[in-house]
Amino acid sequence: MARTRSPLLYVFLAVPVAYLLAFIGFPIVFNVTMSFQEVTIGNLAMFFRPFVGLDNYREVIADPTFRKVLINSLIFVFANVVGQISIGLCVALFFAENFAGAHYLRGLLLSAWMLPGLVVGALWKWMYATDYGVANYVLAKLRIVNGPVHWLSDPAMGLTAVNIAHIWYIMPFSMILIAAGLTTIPQEQYEAAALDGAGAVRRFRHVTLPALSPTLLAVACLVTIYSMRAFDMIVSLTHGGPLDSTNVLPLLSYQFSFEQFQFGVGAAIGTFAFILVIVVALVYVRTLNKEVSL
Amino acid sequence: MSLRKLLLGAIAAIGLTATAALAEPKTVTLWHIYNFESDMIHYGIKAFNESQSEYRIEPRLVPYTNINPELIKAIATGTPPDLTVINDPVVASFSSQGQLTDLTDRIAKSKIINLDVYYKGPLASSQWKGRRYSVAREVNALALYYNADMFRAKGLDPDKPPKTWSEVVAAAEKLRDPAKGVYGIGFCAHSSEQAVFQWLPFLWQAGGSIDKLDQPEATQALQLWVDLVQKGLASRDVINQQQREVTSTFIAGGSAMAVGGPWELPNLQKDAKFDWRVAVLPVKDDKNIKASSLGGFHFAIPKGAKEVDGAFKVIEFMSNATLFNEGWKAGLLAPRSDIELKDPQWPQAYGVFHEQIKTAIQRGPHPQWPDLSRPIQIAIQEALTGTKPANVALQEAAKKIQPILAKTPL
Repeated sequence: MARTRSPLLYVFLAVPVAYLLAFIGFPIVFNVTMSFQEVTIGNLAMFFRPFVGLDNYREVIADPTFRKVLINSLIFVFANVVGQISIGLCVALFFAENFAGAHYLRGLLLSAWMLPGLVVGALWKWMYATDYGVANYVLAKLRIVNGPVHWLSDPAMGLTAVNIAHIWYIMPFSMILIAAGLTTIPQEQYEAAALDGAGAVRRFRHVTLPALSPTLLAVACLVTIYSMRAFDMIVSLTHGGPLDSTNVLPLLSYQFSFEQFQFGVGAAIGTFAFILVIVVALVYVRTLNKEVSL
Repeated sequence: MSLRKLLLGAIAAIGLTATAALAEPKTVTLWHIYNFESDMIHYGIKAFNESQSEYRIEPRLVPYTNINPELIKAIATGTPPDLTVINDPVVASFSSQGQLTDLTDRIAKSKIINLDVYYKGPLASSQWKGRRYSVAREVNALALYYNADMFRAKGLDPDKPPKTWSEVVAAAEKLRDPAKGVYGIGFCAHSSEQAVFQWLPFLWQAGGSIDKLDQPEATQALQLWVDLVQKGLASRDVINQQQREVTSTFIAGGSAMAVGGPWELPNLQKDAKFDWRVAVLPVKDDKNIKASSLGGFHFAIPKGAKEVDGAFKVIEFMSNATLFNEGWKAGLLAPRSDIELKDPQWPQAYGVFHEQIKTAIQRGPHPQWPDLSRPIQIAIQEALTGTKPANVALQEAAKKIQPILAKTPL
């Protein structure tokens, strides 16, 4: 309490708070309100609509599609976190070897991540085509599969196909974050470990991994958030089909709102997705704080 | 955000023009989906703006898949366009909720729009509870495209395309050529409204209807598709192909026949390097019922439109025979039965589609059409993937659909 607080500080505080309330708080409150109302095309423009309590939530929970899609979303997120971190880490380590052109190639890899999701979806749909797709062609030439794989037309295969495409799509971003984390590890630690007789594997286990773990946790949170809002790529790749086997929460919410015109139900699904994301976001913020305090 | 800015800008523009000199034309905002340059809307907008000085159309092109979401957003923010095009099966969804301007009296007084000459299908789609909320702009129907070169190569007569279900199956068996990656037939079973649009003709040909999906007729219609896929006459990928992808496959020589609409004609013209033709959809052998699905877009004036008079003038302007004749350049047919082109482009296709349109049936009208459509989409996909037998899948769809129809019949 030594220094008096300048009133200007409150202005600086008020600006971001007002921003957050207007552009994040309001939509969330609006969505949650809608999820407790019966919202039709007819009363969409009004703010006071028939209150239906938890009816929308009951309908959502009773809908077997929702349960399937919730599980899809969890699998999708899990597969993406594991896939992107493991592959991203391998690729980042590979490019950390500083061979000729490493920087250039690493940057080039990021170009996949810069593509619009709709384009990525269309691209993979082409590659996954049962009869003329390159995926089946390569697998057949390598004699890995006997018959063609129905990547997008077999409900048991769809989610795997979408996972692969999405990991390919976002992995370069994870890789860059991990690569940035790698550069912060002091070179002396490796030299010391090498002098102590640690081989490449032990150096990785006892130097790289511990130093990198806050980065990996942060990447895991970011990938979770990115995967929870995967939408455009899935729309163009499968539109959630076949039989909702590749549907995820944001897409289902969109379908209920803008294709079935059941806005209340769509909002309720949105709330579920929001709760999942906010939990992860809290974990992310906490890991960031830890990183700073380290 | 950008949409909102745009809308605010549009309102500001309207406000400004209103307060400016009286001679300034009043703006009629028009949302449409036609990105083909040859579509009649572009010619119509130009001609309308040149023909008079009271109103001026300000068009906005909205992607086909976005028109419903964009309209909903505009309604929610209270800033709808003065005039929009709207897909026929959802007219009732909007009109039953009071979101479209009732045009009944204006149409009755109109000297240009005479509903007596319109086809029954688009007339049915445009009304709800005896009132009329939209005016059809164009119609389309599904027919059967076929590759005449492949017909000849496999010893089939390209002048005698298959006329019945069994002939279609037989032709598909002959035309199929796995070594060359050619399937007999393609259709769309995509997990969206498109699958329902493509399957309904077969349901109707079998004598079925969507309020009786638990009856054997419905099962037979779905079983036809299941057999085509299971015998390898159609690709399993049909369940993940949109209609345009079904046609692309046909154009690329991946299938010898394909169910498709006339809007594909400009694409075929451009890209198909073979002798392609069109046939009316087959009939079921023992039933002989001709049927197809009716599609197309209507003009409607959203509730809250600022310039209703001007918008209706545009509808009238767009509903004249000369303009309707222009529609075929983009593969769209006039919604009126009194219009027949003398010397059309693609004469063979025109003859077939003009014939097919007479047997085409509209979807609904029903305010909850999307809720009726979704269980059918699921049943189609369950049957085609072998998840459930056709009759079981359809019985479950019937259980979801019948309560909705009990409340609001078709």
